[in-house]
Amino acid sequence: MTAVQERQEQPGKSAEEERLEAELRREKQRKWFWRILGYIVVLGVWELSSGWVLEENLLPGPIRIIQTFPEIVATGRFFSSFGATLTRIIVGFGIALILGSAIGLLTQIKWFENFFRDFQTVGLTSPGLVWALVGLIIWGFQPMGWIFPIVMVTFALVSVNIAEGVRSLPKDLIDMAKAFGTPQHRRQREIVIPHLAPFIFTAVRFGFSIGWKVTVLTEVFSSNEGIGFEMRVSSQLFQLDVFFTWVLSFFVFALFLEKVVLQYFERRFFHWRQEVSTA
Amino acid sequence: MAHIKIANLRKEFGVGDDKVVALQNVNLDIEGHVFVSIVGPSGCGKSTLLNILSGIETPSSGTVDITQDRHDANPGYVFQAARLLPWRSVMDNLLFVQPDPDAPEARERCQRYLDMVHLGDKGDKFPGELSGGMQQRVGIARAFAVEPDVLFMDEPFSHLDAITARSLRRELHDMWQATGKTILFVTHDVGEAVELSSRILVFAKGGRLEDDITVDMPFPRDAADENVAVAKAHVLKKFEDLDLVAT
Repeated sequence: MTAVQERQEQPGKSAEEERLEAELRREKQRKWFWRILGYIVVLGVWELSSGWVLEENLLPGPIRIIQTFPEIVATGRFFSSFGATLTRIIVGFGIALILGSAIGLLTQIKWFENFFRDFQTVGLTSPGLVWALVGLIIWGFQPMGWIFPIVMVTFALVSVNIAEGVRSLPKDLIDMAKAFGTPQHRRQREIVIPHLAPFIFTAVRFGFSIGWKVTVLTEVFSSNEGIGFEMRVSSQLFQLDVFFTWVLSFFVFALFLEKVVLQYFERRFFHWRQEVSTA
Repeated sequence: MAHIKIANLRKEFGVGDDKVVALQNVNLDIEGHVFVSIVGPSGCGKSTLLNILSGIETPSSGTVDITQDRHDANPGYVFQAARLLPWRSVMDNLLFVQPDPDAPEARERCQRYLDMVHLGDKGDKFPGELSGGMQQRVGIARAFAVEPDVLFMDEPFSHLDAITARSLRRELHDMWQATGKTILFVTHDVGEAVELSSRILVFAKGGRLEDDITVDMPFPRDAADENVAVAKAHVLKKFEDLDLVAT
């Protein structure tokens, strides 16, 4: 192809590309507009309600909470409490992930499927509050008091997802690998694990979000540190500005985990899907 | 030189009343640089035979020996659907089945076969970014890139449009001539079998080998050529004689 032809073709192609890029930019702007509007409306209604609908002592507004935040940080309890809660969820959910994965793999065997079936249903449907109370009654403030409820509300979610992933293993790809004499460990690494990754990811995403809730709940009942404990103390002392600051910090942290941490890993592991969808 | 020996092969699926005989009393001897097509109606055990030969399935009874100069032969397989790992690039798909994927010569070899199927610049793409015909070419390149002694192909062009299939048939023929492999090719299409093969095996329902036809015509063969049309009519007549058309 000559240089002249290349120059002739280039503008047509880039014009189409520019149109698509402009359309994508507009779509992104629209998305952010509605997202920010959502925040402005919710925080605005909240701020106006504080003092107009309810007394400021009962419902402190977001401005007051932003002012309270540095005060809590200055006490030194903010990071230690977040650290304590985060450690709990990592330990509790880590155990649930191992246990749930093992059960998920075992349920491929018919006997074990029957053995675990109803327990999985119970695990999926029972409220975290029940297990938080059971943990408190049996173990009190000991670590098992919070490990037990986290494991009980999240293991079933993990096991059901893993079982679903194993059930749908791509036999055609495994047969292909067998036909070429590909070693077992490479089949596991290149077929089984990438196939299971979205199922594990879904389990982690939902398990973590449910685990958060029950962790804070157990801290309200059976702990002397952590975000839940701080919420309990501040509500008992009727320091509602402090209480709402903890609540809001918790929301912000949960959003950070979901939108930044988990989505980062999602993009990293599943970048091929993005390539394919934009092809 | 590759040598395939099949003796008294039988394959059954299921038990009791659900038992289905997929192959029975199959005896075959295939040797050297030959292109063997396996034709027959649906459910006659064509794909099962390839699956047994490639080790995906085990026979119920009988023996299968595939050797290359008295050693176990190295097989390659092209499937009806390309069967590519969607989460790996085209190049990684080829490397996946290489005996030593980390060796630099493995990458060079894969690139050479990608070039051969005219996809040399698509190594970084994911399979989902390619058309069905391109994916099938990747499947063919993958099979050739392991430099197999024996290549199994299970209706590799049946999902493709006529023009793409025709062009891939030509590429396959050229690659077979250039590499001197033994190829076992399952197809529904008698015309395709006549165009490509040096030998055609006709299977009947119940998994019996009914006929073994030698196609003695020079290559390359054109579907429009009169001799090819005559040979195709001859094989179809055998089908009619064996009462395979209606099944």
